[in-house]
Amino acid sequence: MAPIPGIRRIFRLPTSGATLGGEVDDEIAFHLERRAEELAAGGMSPAAARAQAHREFGDAAEAKRELAEIGRRRLRRERRTGAWDALRQDAAFALRTLRRSPGFSAVAVLTLALAVGANTAIFSAVSGVLLRPLPFADPDRLVMLWEENPEKDWHAVSAAPANLLDWREQVPAFQDVAGYAEFADRVTLTGAGEPQALSAAQVTGNFFSVLGVRAEHGRTLRDEETWAGPEPVAVISRRAWIRSFGADPEVVGRVVQVDGRPVRVVGVVPPGIDLPVEGVDVWLPMAWDPAARQQTWFRRAHWVRPVARLRPGVPLDAADAQLQTVVRRLQAQYPETNRLMGAGMTPLHEFLVGDTRTPLLVLLGAVGLLLLLACANVGNLLLVRATGRQRELAVRSALGAGRRRLVRQVATESLVLSAVAGGAGLLLGWGGTRVLGALRPPELLAEGQIALDWRVLVYTLAVTAASGLLFGLVPAAWTSRAPLGQGLRAGGRATGLGRNARRVTGALVVAEVAVALLLVVGAGLLLRSFRELREVEPGFESRGVLAVTLVLPAAEYDTDEKVAAFYGELVRRAGALPGVVDAGAVRKLPLTDPSWSSDFSVAGRGPDEYGVDVLHREVTPGYFRTLRVPLLRGRGFTPADRAGAPMAVVVNEALARRYFPGEDPVGQRIAFDRVPDESSVWRTIVGVVGSERQDGLADEPRPEIFAPVAQDPTRGMVLVLRAHGDPMTLAPAVRRTVAGLDPDLVPYEVQTLDGVRADSIARQRFLMALLAAFAGVALVLALVGVYGVLAQAVRQRAQEMGIRLALGARPRDVLWLVVRHGLALVAAGIGVGLGAALVATRAVESLLYGVRPTDPPTFAAVAGLLALAGLAAGVVPALRASRTEPATVLRAE
Amino acid sequence: MADQDLQLLQGTLDVLVLKTLSWGPRHGYEIARWIRDATDREIQVEDRALYVSLHRMEARGWLESEWGITENNRRAKYYRATPEGRRQLQAQTGTWTRYAAAVFKILHTA
Repeated sequence: MAPIPGIRRIFRLPTSGATLGGEVDDEIAFHLERRAEELAAGGMSPAAARAQAHREFGDAAEAKRELAEIGRRRLRRERRTGAWDALRQDAAFALRTLRRSPGFSAVAVLTLALAVGANTAIFSAVSGVLLRPLPFADPDRLVMLWEENPEKDWHAVSAAPANLLDWREQVPAFQDVAGYAEFADRVTLTGAGEPQALSAAQVTGNFFSVLGVRAEHGRTLRDEETWAGPEPVAVISRRAWIRSFGADPEVVGRVVQVDGRPVRVVGVVPPGIDLPVEGVDVWLPMAWDPAARQQTWFRRAHWVRPVARLRPGVPLDAADAQLQTVVRRLQAQYPETNRLMGAGMTPLHEFLVGDTRTPLLVLLGAVGLLLLLACANVGNLLLVRATGRQRELAVRSALGAGRRRLVRQVATESLVLSAVAGGAGLLLGWGGTRVLGALRPPELLAEGQIALDWRVLVYTLAVTAASGLLFGLVPAAWTSRAPLGQGLRAGGRATGLGRNARRVTGALVVAEVAVALLLVVGAGLLLRSFRELREVEPGFESRGVLAVTLVLPAAEYDTDEKVAAFYGELVRRAGALPGVVDAGAVRKLPLTDPSWSSDFSVAGRGPDEYGVDVLHREVTPGYFRTLRVPLLRGRGFTPADRAGAPMAVVVNEALARRYFPGEDPVGQRIAFDRVPDESSVWRTIVGVVGSERQDGLADEPRPEIFAPVAQDPTRGMVLVLRAHGDPMTLAPAVRRTVAGLDPDLVPYEVQTLDGVRADSIARQRFLMALLAAFAGVALVLALVGVYGVLAQAVRQRAQEMGIRLALGARPRDVLWLVVRHGLALVAAGIGVGLGAALVATRAVESLLYGVRPTDPPTFAAVAGLLALAGLAAGVVPALRASRTEPATVLRAE
Repeated sequence: MADQDLQLLQGTLDVLVLKTLSWGPRHGYEIARWIRDATDREIQVEDRALYVSLHRMEARGWLESEWGITENNRRAKYYRATPEGRRQLQAQTGTWTRYAAAVFKILHTA
């Protein structure tokens, strides 16, 4: 406020409540006095004049209260804006300081932003998968039911439909139980423009009502639609409604053909119902035949995932106890199918998250470590800088800045730094989520599960604030105890770190190296197990093979003859295409979900010598040759193994070993029943082939039986073609061949077998790549830390080095001195890190293949790598030290 | 005077005070006297209300104040209008004039 002209300023504005009251009193007293004086001058007696003045003024006491209140409110407001102004001032000053040393600021911001960004990206995945509730009503009351069988080594498998229905009726704790087929079917949609290949799920009629999902248009399914009714109906996803029906507003009630059968669309449901898999387009009711409930197969085939909704307030263990009662009852009632069949339940969310939890938590742990490392690094940088600024702080202290103000200034710098880094980190994290989304292995992260939602923003904010506090603590603590007076006494010479500060930086660097080692070991273990996996012999040769997945519509291909004829002709025509070396077809590719399984019995063996839960696949004669699956004994299939001919099967080596040890399986007769009866079909084993890994590269081959497609036709097959060159170049010709046979048929998927093989370990690759990236960043950060400390030490000991050199020390000695210092730090870090890694790598044990979590070669290699890196980080400062010019240093004093 | 009337008068009083201060800084007593004289004592205001008005406008940032010394060498609190206060005066003068004219017109319509 500019001084009012003509008036001498004698007091400042009131700054406290106490002076405020006094001023109000003074002001009112002055008024009353002047008025009384004036009235007295007009002839009144002094007493009357005073009384008149008071009358005119009104209630003075009330006025004082009122004015004081106005003043107090004003003061409070001004204090608030004052504090805000101070903060802004500090922040602006901090920004200026940071801008004055752009190198330091860039390194610090980049380091933190990388760590915050990695945390944001990974946490967005964690949040999307582990934290976000399922998009169902009251998801906490939903549980997944499953069956288990110790004899067959079944854990948490799908239920047999008859068991599901019995549970639904007999367990009082269940409000309702729905079911869905464990695998989605591939169906062809016609009658809505071009024929389209869609993903279809079979569900019970109460599926949507149990989940609590409402239709966006039309209705969902009805309970009675579990059973076959007068008209087949379907519910479609919003995505299918848009993509396949052009968002037709009149879609409800439309009749389309699904696999050639007319189906009426009754409703559209919102996205996010990823059951049984992500991206289901159509949900079809089971439409079981009511008579099936009495039939054995309804209790034998395990293919329905049951989802139960618990009654409100029923705890899980109470429901489980009731379920066990029913399970025992069913075991007694149906010994043939249920003798050893147990059951259990898992909360739906936990079941669906399943084995994605560990990898995500490992990644979260890794980025958490990365953040700690970044904080240590920036803390170190700030500490070195703070001591370098001793003189500046001393001057400011001498000019009247209190210690608290200085600490606040230093702390503000840290906060500004972390705020800038947090902003940059958020951007990086946003980019990171896009990268994650693009690289995601589908079975680890569903589409749309990685998103920056409010949880992620809160997390990022918390991480940023925490890191700011963490790395800001070090320099702030130092400033609060720094010997400010000495800054000036030292006469402007750059003083180094005190002994305490040196200890702190040393400890920080040791910690950094340890953390980096931990991450590199983790990445190394995953890298090794990934390489092991890649080198696994899958039992077939994937190079140069094209795989075309087809499903024939049931309506059109309603007889075995039609199906067999189609695949026979398709393989013949595709095999004749130019560039095709071999051609065949198989029900399911190896390394993908296995097809179906059963027990089997061998002719002439006792009733207890049955085979348990062996896999089955149907193939054409050319399959084994096309995939280069070796024939070990007997013969493969030939065109002569057709319908009507003696039933032939080929078994794999795993089956031969397990069930025919020391025997020749060729010529033996088997039936696909545990207890054969007169209805059993006996088949002769004609050959033994090498074992393929059916489930995945990490899983040992299982016993398997192959049957010729011609004798056991199945509508869904994969055409496999071995090509001369790049198999993908065959794709257009194959599509034309398929269309030439049936214009309404669309290949569901066209991929290379190499691609299938790579996809089967996509999750491991994804994890390994991310962890390797984090470990790389950690390693660089740790090296920067080591370098920083050594460089600082060299600068500080320049005088000592100069004297040593002047007194005749060889440059090599000085070089060694510095390198030794660096190596000591790194060695300590390696020691701590190895100890921590021995314990911590157990967390990744379940993710490893062929490598133990304490794999000595990995540990040794990583320790060596870090030692080498530490040496490298020490070289530059050491060289600088050894080239110290004694004269210059000594003169500088 | 009842509080209600005081409230009613507040806006009016603010304009009058701002007007008074438009000629230069004054202390409270001077303002009170000026208003009394200028309105030929038609407007009876408790002095208390005047001070409430002064302090409130100061808190709003329309006025600023400073302790100074009067010609008689006594301590007094001087007020002057800030640029914002002057803007308020202008705006409220316009409003008041229109309002008064409108009321006048009605009352004098036969």
